[in-house]
Amino acid sequence: MMQRIDLAPMLRETLTTPYSDMVTRSTGVALRGRIEQAISGASHRTTQLNFTAVGLLDFSCADEVVAKLLLRVADEEEHFVVLSGITDSHLDAIDHVLERHGLSVASLGEGEASARVLGVTTPDVQTAFQAIQRLGAGDAKRLADALSWTVERAADALQSLALRRLIQAAGGTYRPLSMP
Amino acid sequence: MRIVTIPASLDDKTLDVLAAGIGEWPPSEGLLFDARAAQWASPYGLTALLTLGQSMAEAGLTTPKLTVPENDDVKSYWARAGFFHAAAECFELVGRVPKKPADPPSDVLLPVTPIRAFEDVINVVGRIQERAQRILTSELNLAPKATMGFGMCFSETCQNIVEHAGTGGWVAVQTYNWRKRLGRKVVVIAVSDSGMGFRRSLEATEAKKVGDRWGDGAALELALLQNISRFRDPGRGQGLAGIRRYLGRWQGKISVRSGTARLAVVPSWDDDEPLAEYLPFFPGSQVQITIPAQEAGPT
Repeated sequence: MMQRIDLAPMLRETLTTPYSDMVTRSTGVALRGRIEQAISGASHRTTQLNFTAVGLLDFSCADEVVAKLLLRVADEEEHFVVLSGITDSHLDAIDHVLERHGLSVASLGEGEASARVLGVTTPDVQTAFQAIQRLGAGDAKRLADALSWTVERAADALQSLALRRLIQAAGGTYRPLSMP
Repeated sequence: MRIVTIPASLDDKTLDVLAAGIGEWPPSEGLLFDARAAQWASPYGLTALLTLGQSMAEAGLTTPKLTVPENDDVKSYWARAGFFHAAAECFELVGRVPKKPADPPSDVLLPVTPIRAFEDVINVVGRIQERAQRILTSELNLAPKATMGFGMCFSETCQNIVEHAGTGGWVAVQTYNWRKRLGRKVVVIAVSDSGMGFRRSLEATEAKKVGDRWGDGAALELALLQNISRFRDPGRGQGLAGIRRYLGRWQGKISVRSGTARLAVVPSWDDDEPLAEYLPFFPGSQVQITIPAQEAGPT
């Protein structure tokens, strides 16, 4: 099961504002506080931050809500964060802050059928991530066969994905993250 | 009381003339700013003028006087742009001031608006967003993605006041037809605050590292070109970095004046000097962001 946090209603509750724009660092700090509270009060291993109905997202707010949250979650064992409802208007800010911190996150765009990696990534990591979403659980050989790669290349990509918490890995096997 | 003449055309360049007219800072005597002959002022000029009045008030100096423009059209325009309403807070206005009409001129996306807290930024971004998108798309031919980027730049620029200035400031947004200069329309965001300025903001952490060259110009270079912030948090300094990235993509320009220096990231369509130092002192910081209509669009 995945924990879903809808940011637009959370924003309105947090700021009592009629607007749906996620702007300013103070807004981001307040939102992240509530998100962290929600995560700590739940038993789910994966948290989905849903951006549906969020208007503008600026760099400072994205830094607090996405980048800093990922950095906090990185301290916890086996907790994963995915983004959903991402539109073109959110992409710039999210990509920018993730690159600045050297982070990556799995994201499903609004109206998109398949997820992709935002932030720091490489063509191999992006390809492997999408293949794993399609193939489901397996090991490096399975991925290598599917992509016509060497096993070493597939293993490298899997290791990068696992380190960045873009897949779940255990004992030489991997599983894709649950996506909405 | 000393009289300082407001340039007939007050903008980012002629602000230096106004600053020179003020002389030493803080001024040792009361000042009367004479705008009777004013013919035009950009949002940058109007917000900077307010900063001047605010700085004098915050320094505990005698409330400066401001004579309003004699030209009725100019006076009416300044009123509709929200200037006199704001100026009444920090100037003793001399002359008949028109009542502020309900609607600002059609080219004014945002009249002169105070920014004192994060809530002001949130509200002003929310207020301007829909209208800005419509105008930027229809008149400047900007793609929807670019109009969102405009909102981000606007938000980050306003936030800098709250985060770094240590006091309040003013923002205004306007579109122009730069027929002669560029042959296209532009949208201009002007933000001015009466705060500590970039040099003082970064002095404690950066002055020693820079050494002899330390000053307003060096501080501006660190903040604008190297994304250095006084906060240790590595996430800080992203606002200006993000603004530069956005402006690079859409051939926009940013110019920041603080203290005695002005630094600009200059696109190919402009011939401004990237760094001007040893200018006459002007209090606070002034930022101007200019985004041109895209080439295929209406001019």
